[in-house]
Amino acid sequence: MLLAYPREFRLEYGPEMTQVFRDCYRDTRRGLVTSLGFWLRIVCDLIRTAPLERWEALGKDHETMKNLKANIVGLLACLVVIVVAFLLLGYGRKHEVASILLFGHALDAIVTAGVISNLIIFPLVMATRLSPFRTAVWSLLIVNGALLLLATLIGSRVDPQFSFARLLIGYFVSFILWLTIHWIWSQTKSSAEPIA
Amino acid sequence: MAKQRLDPEKLLPLTSSVFHILLALSDGDLHGYGIMQEVAEHTDGQIRLGPGTLYGAIKRLLGSGLIVEADERPDPEMDDERRRYYRLTEFGKQVLKAEVQRISKLVSVAQRKKLTPKKT
Repeated sequence: MLLAYPREFRLEYGPEMTQVFRDCYRDTRRGLVTSLGFWLRIVCDLIRTAPLERWEALGKDHETMKNLKANIVGLLACLVVIVVAFLLLGYGRKHEVASILLFGHALDAIVTAGVISNLIIFPLVMATRLSPFRTAVWSLLIVNGALLLLATLIGSRVDPQFSFARLLIGYFVSFILWLTIHWIWSQTKSSAEPIA
Repeated sequence: MAKQRLDPEKLLPLTSSVFHILLALSDGDLHGYGIMQEVAEHTDGQIRLGPGTLYGAIKRLLGSGLIVEADERPDPEMDDERRRYYRLTEFGKQVLKAEVQRISKLVSVAQRKKLTPKKT
């Protein structure tokens, strides 16, 4: 009869339920009517509670599936943004398309900050119970900030036409874009906890 | 323990089985079968919890922080070690009191409407 309940429930309460069943059976007075009454009560209890537990277990599975789907969609969206930005940058440089190269710093920042920060955010959120959006905010702030600092140090030494303002705008655009994507991702993820 | 900061009123009304389980645990720690016996006793045998109802309710009560598994066993020598004892938490007591208060209000309304049985 325990097989009617979900595996998790069986593992947690199965031995105790068996013990309780034995205790009840031992204390039931012998006799056909009493035995029938006992079995009827047990079967009614099973019919009433097993589907409920199964339904709850199914609900938990749905949450997991929903989150997994959201993670895959989020990861794919990030990959698409990185690839598009990278291709645009490459095309713009190769053909010297001024309209694309105008956003050169931003595209550069989107690709580099996107690759590094997403390599931090996704594993961290999937492996822990950290808030996806908060993790994204802090990771993006640190990564974009560190890259901006690095690009400033290198650019100011090697590039005679270096402009800090353009670089800053580029990393700001990258930060806002990635933050928006991660905000959308965090909204699609389920944060519901089981309620009694 | 964020759940314990919940307002007890928000968990009301309790289901009949949950109310009786909490009431049974208000006297002290009990194991599953002990709860069953206590419930049957204080309802004059009118409510007999089945194993599925009992452990389904226990699972939800543990999840919402109304009860916890007790560390100590009331009488270790007399008892089967495999049994798990359950204890009412402070939050559980608050919820139980809130439910009793809710029922009392209903009873007083019924009394005003002269719906309660006459004392003999």
